Amino acid sequence: MSKLKMPRSSPALDMTPMVDLGFLLVTFFMLTAQFRPEEAVVVDTPSSMSQSPIPTENLMTVTVDSGGRVFWDFTDKLVRAEVIKEMAKRYKISLDAEQERRFVNLNDIGIPLQKLPTYLSLDSPVDRKQLDDVSPGIPIDSTDNQLLDWIRVTQLIFSSGSGGKNPIVALKGDGNVNYSVINKVIKIFQSPTVKINRFKMITDLEASRIATKAAEPQ
Amino acid sequence: MADVQQGDGGGGARHQKKRAKKGSTHIDMTPMVDLAFLLLTFFILTTTMYKPSTLQLTFPVPPDEKDKPELDKVNNALTLFLTKEDQILYYKDAFKPGETQLTRTDFSKITPLLIDWNKTTFDRIQELGRKLNANEINETAYDSLKNLAQKEKEALFVIIKPDKDAKYRNMIDMVDDMAIAGIGKYAVQDTIKPAEETVLDAEKLKF
Repeated sequence: MSKLKMPRSSPALDMTPMVDLGFLLVTFFMLTAQFRPEEAVVVDTPSSMSQSPIPTENLMTVTVDSGGRVFWDFTDKLVRAEVIKEMAKRYKISLDAEQERRFVNLNDIGIPLQKLPTYLSLDSPVDRKQLDDVSPGIPIDSTDNQLLDWIRVTQLIFSSGSGGKNPIVALKGDGNVNYSVINKVIKIFQSPTVKINRFKMITDLEASRIATKAAEPQ
Repeated sequence: MADVQQGDGGGGARHQKKRAKKGSTHIDMTPMVDLAFLLLTFFILTTTMYKPSTLQLTFPVPPDEKDKPELDKVNNALTLFLTKEDQILYYKDAFKPGETQLTRTDFSKITPLLIDWNKTTFDRIQELGRKLNANEINETAYDSLKNLAQKEKEALFVIIKPDKDAKYRNMIDMVDDMAIAGIGKYAVQDTIKPAEETVLDAEKLKF
């Protein structure tokens, strides 16, 4: 009898494995999570069935939003730091170290250079967002083609730092923007000073298109 | 800390009670586990698998003196005008002023048409795909054979011309359809010849 009493099994489950798994997952999600970067503009890209992923390095993105405004972005922070110095020199604007640091940490820039110092002196993202909302974007007219300068300067600085290589160029356009605006940007890409004839167009993956392709008769 | 507190507040009666309870060495982990699962739920719910993809597009180098003379030589050519309200107008082969008529269609109908016009190449690519799936050929061979098939003389050559009313989405859809129909020879152009413009405008009035 006394031997039977010995085990005294408790009704509590051993939850250790479950807790272990829980923490493992928490760690995984916490480490892999990337918080959505502060975006100057939200763009609804068209969808395609292309599955080639977007590069995460050495990528220059030119964004065109639904209103036809143009934004510039580059992934590499070191290059950004040099680009803003060169652009400030070319357009004779003066930026202090704090403003330059802020530029490096931002993403899409859609502010004409004349207004850039004001924009970069704003500390809170909310204020910057307000200015972004009313900004006309980077000028692309032939009289004041700042986009061409952005691209040219980025190319120069990137290739001097990487032994003559060119950055990867991506065009991120809103699906509903008129093609004529996109065409203007493409014409700037192709202009003799920058010569970008190969570029990527950023799209969303469309599941339905893949499904229809698979369903097609063999 | 915990030790100190126990020592400080410990009255005789309390100590006795504790001993009687035979205090276990286990720590109650419930709050910690609760917190862990709360975090887990948060991260699972806020994680979006946002993966944009890209379409590669290559434009001809501009000082190529335009493709115009070359275009007329190409047989099996198809010219697509992308225009307002997601409509497509097209004509086949060379443009003959006064003769060429534009046919109207839209994005839901164009894919089967393209596949049909590009039947020989499309079938060859399908066959290659089947071989790839059956492990008869490897990925590299598939890519190069597909490339060869798309460059054949009888393969369809498509010129995409978005007009001033077209949306960017239309252009992307069209380039995407090229991939679906297995068309390797295509170009996006913005030059619409005056003669084409006249026919196009006349057709657009019928919308």
